[in-house]
Amino acid sequence: MTNTSGSAGRSPTILGTSLVGVLLAIAIAAVYIAPSEQTMGDAQRVMYVHISVAWLALLGFAVMAICGWRYLVTRNLWWDQWAIAIGEVGWMCSTLTLVTGSLWAHAAWGTWWTWDPRLVTSFVLWAIYSGNLTLRSGLEDANTRARLCSVMAIIGLADVPLVVMATRWFRGVHPVSPDMEPAMRYTLVANIAGWTALMIHLVVRRRRLLVLQSQVAELQSLYETSQTQR
Amino acid sequence: MASKLWWLIHKDLMIEYRTRQTWTSMLLLCVIIAVVFSLQVKLPMEHRTATVSTMLWLAIIFASQVVVERTGIAEHQDGCWDALTQYPVSASTIYLAKLIVNLVAILALNCVMVPLFVVLTDVPLLLHAGAMSLVIGLGSLSVAAIGTLVSAATFGQRQRGAVLSLLALPLVLPVLLSASEATRLAATNDLGNQWWRWVQFLGAFTIVFVTLGIVLFGAMIEE
Amino acid sequence: MLPESNIAIQTHQLSKTIGTRRVLREIDWSIAKGECVALLGDNGAGKTTLLRCLAGSLQPTAGQVRWFGQAVSSDVRQRRIIGMVAHESRLYQPLTVRENLLFAARMHSLSDPMKRCDEVLDRVELGFCADRPTREISKGMCQRLSLARALIHDPPILLLDEPFSGLDSAGCDWLLDMLRDRRSEGRAICFSTHGDDWKHVADRVTRLKDGALLRANAIGDATAGDALRSAG
Repeated sequence: MTNTSGSAGRSPTILGTSLVGVLLAIAIAAVYIAPSEQTMGDAQRVMYVHISVAWLALLGFAVMAICGWRYLVTRNLWWDQWAIAIGEVGWMCSTLTLVTGSLWAHAAWGTWWTWDPRLVTSFVLWAIYSGNLTLRSGLEDANTRARLCSVMAIIGLADVPLVVMATRWFRGVHPVSPDMEPAMRYTLVANIAGWTALMIHLVVRRRRLLVLQSQVAELQSLYETSQTQR
Repeated sequence: MASKLWWLIHKDLMIEYRTRQTWTSMLLLCVIIAVVFSLQVKLPMEHRTATVSTMLWLAIIFASQVVVERTGIAEHQDGCWDALTQYPVSASTIYLAKLIVNLVAILALNCVMVPLFVVLTDVPLLLHAGAMSLVIGLGSLSVAAIGTLVSAATFGQRQRGAVLSLLALPLVLPVLLSASEATRLAATNDLGNQWWRWVQFLGAFTIVFVTLGIVLFGAMIEE
Repeated sequence: MLPESNIAIQTHQLSKTIGTRRVLREIDWSIAKGECVALLGDNGAGKTTLLRCLAGSLQPTAGQVRWFGQAVSSDVRQRRIIGMVAHESRLYQPLTVRENLLFAARMHSLSDPMKRCDEVLDRVELGFCADRPTREISKGMCQRLSLARALIHDPPILLLDEPFSGLDSAGCDWLLDMLRDRRSEGRAICFSTHGDDWKHVADRVTRLKDGALLRANAIGDATAGDALRSAG
């Protein structure tokens, strides 16, 4: 066995899933219980999810780039499997950020989309995530894929702060850190915890799937070898 | 290393001089873009300057994609790229050579594009020719740095043009914002602090991406 | 087994996987100085991949390639050891014959590129068309020029991928002479082929099947038997 497969680890099914379930239930309950916001009413509640996934999209990108850098140093596909899993889940978080943000913007500003610095930044993050996924799907060889996507993730990570800087210099309308009631603050914390737990869970499960896939491929090629050598 | 760098650049320029395969299509494209864009501009002067500055940089970025893609294709004919990576030349040297060749082409493109925009839209882009050259120099260098590096990821892909745009365009967004702002300020005779800040930003961006290119190009091209 | 100092190229458990296909499987092999080895195999057996791994232009998935006892590293100066003639010409079509060679010479930082180019052009008998663009010369001349490009820095190891394909009989004879010359100068040569041309020059023949080596003495058919030391 090569180091690409390694141990898939024990199934995190029961304990992991139930923990994630409980955390998510608390988070969603909190969204319903939290007090209504004065000016926006119930529409503001989407913010709890929005902030959580936005934070996860950013965090995911940084972790993906670190995995990429580790891959380039060690050339061990173990790192790339994490990068794939994080890249896919991160792309989903990034998409959710845009969607929930758009819902919120429609309620708050009366428009689905406007060219505000934070919106541009989120969009560029989403575009870089998407580019990475597209690049991956166009390449056949696992090592080539890992190498190129690692480099692109590192370049992307260098680019994101520059996008933030460039766009921040235009005046924006996006709220930065408004004052919140304690109840709202707790709801937000509960949501960040819940969604983070869910995404970590998804990343772990996705990577496990990748490990199993690579093991199947390896067995298949061993089988073919034994067939050709009679 | 310096002499190898020179001969690498010399070889590419020589091939371009003989075939004119990149420059012709690039210049044609930029004329068409300039005309099509300026057809849309029927605005009062202050708005027009802002719009034209952004359009100029959009045009530069799109035409640069063509440049970067074509120089990549030229090198990949007849397995020349494999030979190139087998010479005792470091990947960083190859990156710098390709970067300079692309930069020369993009600068040449600007020499046509900027006067063309001035003529077609009446926006005084060359009001401060020195300041404008600085912005164009830095902007072109950063676009070339990203393009040269990212195009290496698309070698050997079937839809390389599409993949290249998909990967490179989000990355050059800061260049688009800062260079078009700096261009607008220069064209409205406002070379104050704000202009200088955008130029500094462009400079920092250029340094980051040229450095990344020198460091990462080797990982990008190995097989 | 050959003594260490005599080995030009050695592979250890060399494997290459491209996509899900295992193109090379755990190849242990070596070529001695002054030896000319023919590499046979059907289409898709992995000949080109093996040659590219030997040349250091493909990274093996597992295992190692050593040139004169040194592992292939990222040190670019090491690449002077190898000269390679690939299946493609690896020539810049818009440049002239001489310009192509001059470029190669300069990439190898040779001390007098002009002089070296003239020498090599004479050797491959292309002096008469030195200033013609490469795209205007014939396939056979192109093949010679590719060889000249690979020999410009006088590499101790020469690798050729199907060098006889597309050559007429005069061209084949000429190439065989070149290879014998190189071998007598103590250079290691390895070339892939699927014709019979190797019989006239190879000291040894190796067969690749589905990415694995079949030893010469393990091959049942008669051709392999007389290949051993046939031309020596």
